[in-house]
Amino acid sequence: MLGRFGPVVTFVAHNGPIQQHQRGMATLKSISIRLKSVKNIQKITQSMKMVSAAKYARAERDLKQVKPIGNGAKQFYEKAEIDAPTDVPQKLVIAITSDRGLCGAVHTSVVRHIRTELGKDDVNVKVVCVGDKSRAILSRTFGKNIILACNEVGRLPPTFTDASKLADAVLKSEYKFGAGEIVYNKFKSVVSYQTSTLPVYSLQSVAAAPKLSIYDSLDDEVIQSYLEFSLASLLFYSLKEGACSEQSSRMTAMDNASKNATEMIDKLTLAFNRTRQAVITRELIEIISGASAL
Amino acid sequence: MSAWRQAGLNYINYSSIAARLLRQALKADLRTEAAKRNDSHIRITKWEAGKPIKSSEF
Repeated sequence: MLGRFGPVVTFVAHNGPIQQHQRGMATLKSISIRLKSVKNIQKITQSMKMVSAAKYARAERDLKQVKPIGNGAKQFYEKAEIDAPTDVPQKLVIAITSDRGLCGAVHTSVVRHIRTELGKDDVNVKVVCVGDKSRAILSRTFGKNIILACNEVGRLPPTFTDASKLADAVLKSEYKFGAGEIVYNKFKSVVSYQTSTLPVYSLQSVAAAPKLSIYDSLDDEVIQSYLEFSLASLLFYSLKEGACSEQSSRMTAMDNASKNATEMIDKLTLAFNRTRQAVITRELIEIISGASAL
Repeated sequence: MSAWRQAGLNYINYSSIAARLLRQALKADLRTEAAKRNDSHIRITKWEAGKPIKSSEF
């Protein structure tokens, strides 16, 4: 629903120099039409800001609860000191974005990170695109590297069921990877986020980890089950982080758009009044010169 | 090997079935809130050689 306003906003943004109208054929009518349309766009961006502010508040609350899940899963990889296997070059990259635009550079920064990765080695790296945005950008240049694409992400807050479906799909994709990473936007504050990665490893590389013995009573069965679960938890955590960064970034983007619209409205009002004054003056001159010619 | 893995499930399937059953077993006032967490909207499509494949088993 919100995405539909995308082209409208850019259209206005590119028409910055209003002076163009002043020297040309700026009629009162054309200025007032433009003024009206900018006012309407401002209304839209303002209400989008309110909507995303409400969504952001919820996303941040959710994120607070999810953080321990993500950290717990991350700790295992750090404590066991797992390294990517050298004999299996295949890598998996999971891009966490969403379907919605108009939120600053959140999606592009995730995609840029992946693009540098693919630039180094585009044969052994496969991508899972979560969200239409990353798919749309990557499919043009690296379409053959995409193995899974997900959409319907970002309309509603992500649930653990979403994450487990995704993890299940990744595990069943028959792509054998040695190591992988989840690329997502880590939420830092309302105005900032950082594009970060979370590691994902295969069963073989975990089983070969040197410090695995610090964990008690592990057999292959337990490790396999835990890895499957931890993939789902990590995905859930990164989806939540991504959703929160996206909403906060959209809030800032829409705030800026509203501010720019206010600026444009001021300039247009000035131009409108000047033109009106000019029309009145011209009419007066016509009347006076007509009268003196009599 | 556990029975569910022999049946072709992995831990994710197993735990999500368990979670669903637990949510259904809750008291009515808590169940509506918990049922929301059961929803999933994500749609997954397989891709091959730069093209999406129509059939989706997820």
